Amino acid sequence: MSKLTEKHNLKGTLVCVEGIDGSGKSTQLTLLRDWLKSTGQDVIFTEWNSSELISQTTKLAKKKNLLSARTFSLLHAVDFADRFKQVIAPALKAGFIVLADRYAYTAFARDVARGVDPNWVRKVYNFAIKPDLAIYFDIDPQSSMERICFNRTPKFYEAGMDLKISNDPYESYLIFQGRVISEYQKMVDEFGLVKLDAKESIHTKQIEIRRRLKEILNAKGVNI
Amino acid sequence: MAKAKKFKKKHDYEGLLIVIEGTDGSGKSTQLELLKRALQDQSYGVIVSEWKTSRLIANVIDDAKERNLLNATTYSLLYAADFADRLENQIIPALKSGFVVLLDRYYYTALARDVVRGQDIEWVKNLYDYAPEPDLIFYLDMPVDTLLKRIIGTTGLDFYESGRDVGFSTDFYKSFEIYQNKCLEQYNKMKKEYNFISIDGTKSVDEIHKIMKAEVQKILASGILY
Repeated sequence: MSKLTEKHNLKGTLVCVEGIDGSGKSTQLTLLRDWLKSTGQDVIFTEWNSSELISQTTKLAKKKNLLSARTFSLLHAVDFADRFKQVIAPALKAGFIVLADRYAYTAFARDVARGVDPNWVRKVYNFAIKPDLAIYFDIDPQSSMERICFNRTPKFYEAGMDLKISNDPYESYLIFQGRVISEYQKMVDEFGLVKLDAKESIHTKQIEIRRRLKEILNAKGVNI
Repeated sequence: MAKAKKFKKKHDYEGLLIVIEGTDGSGKSTQLELLKRALQDQSYGVIVSEWKTSRLIANVIDDAKERNLLNATTYSLLYAADFADRLENQIIPALKSGFVVLLDRYYYTALARDVVRGQDIEWVKNLYDYAPEPDLIFYLDMPVDTLLKRIIGTTGLDFYESGRDVGFSTDFYKSFEIYQNKCLEQYNKMKKEYNFISIDGTKSVDEIHKIMKAEVQKILASGILY
């Protein structure tokens, strides 16, 4: 039984944003953080693949294109587990609002798009706590590529070049990210992700996110 | 040549997968080296791979241990990543090419150590559930007091090998004893589940080698690698 499907009863509040690159996640999370801080909330921010323990190794291995799908998956799980045990879980116990730029769902989407068994990777992450609010920014692969690759070619792993779908990084990107998106869409029901249209204005999305978070905080007796 | 009854491999690869398991100081590396030479003398292609040696991750584990950065979950996952890297880049390609692959430890080591560190056994099993089943698993069975003497007399007590990270005892010796005993308990449970060929580790190096060689020879005599 996974904790990812059960409501937690810790003091804090866990919010995560999900979606492929260029879907506007980080912009929204930064706006949310600044607003929460300005209202005097205790906020902690944590990002995918940023743990002191392993993120540099993973980045280096990615540069050298050394990773099999499974090793790729496990290295990201190490990163997540490290941040989860050292940062996320303690902060939730202490009553912080934890803002996560990507969460376990990123692994479920990307690893499965790489051919890893969906149940296997879900079990690997079964220690992760279910977020109070998990937002998925839905965008099509073409728009995502236009946003992030307007001045560079897609990178090896973000284009899924390791899967040898196509030798053209642009074409590979569209196919691979299309697979990632279809995994995300399955998770909307499976994990109750809140789907937002990434093409809405920054302002519209931020209003919607704040409204949803306020509701959750109010239910916990925190009024902003 | 009259071939013996065809041996049935545990996986679909050309080669053979042979594992030596046992706690620290049980004599695994010595036996692996002897077995390797014996097989090479008979013109078999042999590859040896040791636990925690992937070029990618092994250094991270050592560094993290040194700086005390690991918790039970990251400990498990890092070793699993190291294993995945070696399995996919080293072990499986060698098996596909028909090598005899000799392994110093396999995922049974992770099962023992991670469970002693408090991880759920089903969670750990899932991490390794894609690994091919070995054709032979030798287990060097050693009583703790003999192990203790061997290790103290050679490498000395290491922080993690003594399970100090688990917090059994702040006394090094006591902690080592508890930790290794708990690992042995796990190995004992696995003996039957995974069909270990258990060998009394207090026998002489020569005697142990003879037993192992005879078991391997039985398989080779079936002509499986021709």
